[in-house]
Amino acid sequence: MYSAENEFAEGLLRIFDNVLLTEEKALSKGYFSNLSIAELHTLEAIGPYEARAMSETAARLGITTGTLTVAIDRLVRKGYVERYRDSKDRRVVRICLTRQGKLAYRMHAKFHKLLVKRIMDPLSEEDRNRMARLVREVDQFIKEQYEKYSDEERARNESKKAEGNEK
Amino acid sequence: MTELSSDMQRGDPDSPGEPRERVGPDDPVLRKKERIYDNLITKVTEQNELSPTDIKPETEIFHDLGLDSLRIYELVIDLESMFDIRISDDELERVGTVQDVVDMIYELTAE
Repeated sequence: MYSAENEFAEGLLRIFDNVLLTEEKALSKGYFSNLSIAELHTLEAIGPYEARAMSETAARLGITTGTLTVAIDRLVRKGYVERYRDSKDRRVVRICLTRQGKLAYRMHAKFHKLLVKRIMDPLSEEDRNRMARLVREVDQFIKEQYEKYSDEERARNESKKAEGNEK
Repeated sequence: MTELSSDMQRGDPDSPGEPRERVGPDDPVLRKKERIYDNLITKVTEQNELSPTDIKPETEIFHDLGLDSLRIYELVIDLESMFDIRISDDELERVGTVQDVVDMIYELTAE
C-alpha cells in the first residue's frame, strides 16, 4: 500500500546513497581519480583560501585530530595539501590546499552546483522556493538529531571518565 | 567606466564613428587595466600554449580559446593568487570576453 512516509524515507536514503555514488563515479573518471570522496570532503572542510588549524578542521569534519592527521598525511603525499607549523605559535599545525588541491575543490564545487542546477532548472520559481524551504526543514531536523546523539555520547564519555577518576 | 577595449584600439582620431571619451596615458584606471590585461594575457598564453596575438579584448575568453573547466579553474586559481582576490563561480558566470575579465579583476582589486 502507498505510504507517503515510506516513499519519503526510501527516497531520502536513495538520494543520500546515489549522490555519493555519482560523486565517486564522476571522480574516478575525471582528473582526480586518485582522490576518494572522503578525501575530497576533507579538502572541502579545509577550504580554498585561508590556512586552517588541524583542530578546527577536525571539529568541522566531526572527527578526532588523530584521525585527521592520518588523512592529511595521505593528502600531503598526493600533493593536495600543505602542512606547516604556525610561525607565531609553534604548537599549532596549519594546513592549506596546494594549487592542485584548490583545483580539485573547485571542480568538486562545480559538480555540486551542476547537480543542483539540473534538479532545479525544470521547476517553476514557486516550486523551487517550496523545495528549498522543505529541504531546509529536513536539514534542520537531521542536524538536531545528530546534535542530540552527539550530546548524549559526550555526556556518557564524561560520566565514564568521572567514574574512572573516582576509582 | 573607461573601457579598455576602446582605449586600446587607438585608431585614426579623425575617423568618423561614435564620439568617444579621450583618455590620456596618465589615467590611473587605464594604466591599472593595462597592467591587468598584460598579466592576464601572459598567464593565459603560458598555460595554454597560445600566442598573445590570438587574444584580443573582445575575445570570448572561455569559448574562443577552447578552455575546458579544468583549464578555466587553473586560470582562476592563478589569477586569485596573482592579484590576491577571490573569484566566485557566480562572478565567473558573468564574464564573457577578455575585457570582462579585466574589468572584473579591476573591480575586485579595488574592493
